[in-house]
Amino acid sequence: MPGSAASLDDQHARFQALVLPHLDRLLRFAQRRTSSTGDAEDAVQDTCVKAWISFEDLRDAEKARPWLYRILRSVLSDVSEKSDRRRQLVDITRLEQAHEELIGGDTDLVFSEVAARLDSEMLARALSLIPEDFATAVELHDIDGFKYHEIAEIAGVPIGTVMSRISRGRRLLAGTIVANRRAWGLGTQDGARPGARLRLGHDRSTQ
Amino acid sequence: MSDLHLNFGAQPHERPDDDEAREARHQVLATLLGAYADAELPPETTSQIDAHLLGCARCRREVELHAAVHTRLAREPFVAASPALRDRIIQEIAQARLLSTAVEAPAQRPWWRSNAVRIGAALTLAGVATMVGVSRVRAVSQPPMRASATVTATAVPLFATILRDYRRVTASDLPGRARDLDAVRAAVPFPVQPLHVAGASLLAAWSTDLNGEPAAVLAYRWHDKLLLEYLVAEPVFFRHPSVRTPVAAGESVTARDGAQGLVAWAAPESGAILVGDVLPDELLALRVGGTGH
Repeated sequence: MPGSAASLDDQHARFQALVLPHLDRLLRFAQRRTSSTGDAEDAVQDTCVKAWISFEDLRDAEKARPWLYRILRSVLSDVSEKSDRRRQLVDITRLEQAHEELIGGDTDLVFSEVAARLDSEMLARALSLIPEDFATAVELHDIDGFKYHEIAEIAGVPIGTVMSRISRGRRLLAGTIVANRRAWGLGTQDGARPGARLRLGHDRSTQ
Repeated sequence: MSDLHLNFGAQPHERPDDDEAREARHQVLATLLGAYADAELPPETTSQIDAHLLGCARCRREVELHAAVHTRLAREPFVAASPALRDRIIQEIAQARLLSTAVEAPAQRPWWRSNAVRIGAALTLAGVATMVGVSRVRAVSQPPMRASATVTATAVPLFATILRDYRRVTASDLPGRARDLDAVRAAVPFPVQPLHVAGASLLAAWSTDLNGEPAAVLAYRWHDKLLLEYLVAEPVFFRHPSVRTPVAAGESVTARDGAQGLVAWAAPESGAILVGDVLPDELLALRVGGTGH
């Protein structure tokens, strides 16, 4: 934290200018990992206080957002054991099988249309059913808009690991959506037809 | 990723119908297709995958899948942070700033090394206070704690104030003349019962005020360390949600700020906060193993 009283007001203003614009994104990320809005807000608040305390560690203002996410992940990891978000992880093998059927099968329904009908609650549910590391990598890229090298910095892993986590995470997420589409009331208009299967798009060619 | 050198075509030793080898190549490719769809691969790798995709419907479907998932997730709406949250954060940061400017923590030295006079005075006080205090220690069994919640010390104004007071007190002689427990009890509107902890002895007790709120302070010698226990009224203790929530769930609250650790728990008609140059987990174990109020 800045130690010079003379510069504190400036530092405080600079800190607010760098951090407060990201509150919405931080809150959204925290909400997906806590059981209530209050818990998410507490996590974001703790993150901001910790960020202020270590403000001197931020050398490059351009990196404020990944820096904040890194702190938020640390805060959230302290409370993750209390969260029931990951209590119902489904069998990975089952998800991979669903993905394989989607990729390799002769299917009738369009996955992109099914995915488009997924509401936020279902999406959060689907993300909660895949392993945390994969879900986090996918979310950081697809929802929060980080580049791979920024995700590597946030997660503290090599960029190759990020690549692998995003690829596998999306496959598992697709498998989750496919596996649960009937239970969640998803499917195309002909999805109610017994035995209807899913396909990705209009490319029905085979290798 | 410019160090990626891949060959996605059929290998010379591989028969075209070697499904196993083809599947193995696809497994390798599978880890790259997400990055391909996200335009995160170097040009030469991208070109190689482009060529592979021309003849591989399976991998084209895989790329489509990545695009479909990405498209849906990218539509996820923002959740606007409430003005109240923004205000809270600004307030907390301002408090953290005030703490940093009001008290620069002195270089922490073991209290017993300050000088011989202090040691003598402290031990004398220990004798007096222990004689007065130990006879009044009531060994009340504590319910086992389920867990502890860790908070940021500076985010809880009460903790920040106590840490400031702890640093002030431990930077010099223990405050004035130690009062006996009866005098301390008379000065605060809640019960004061010292902890009864193996290896710890009561050194001194005094009353003080924390931001205008009355508090009792009990000083213990625990092995070679000084611990201060602050007792405050219930409304003061339960004021902050970061304390109130875990305590309501039967948990203690721990925090750490620099060299100082802190553990807080609910006591009869009051709240207790034990502070020392000790890791919070050690304080927690002390608290769990001890008896008292």
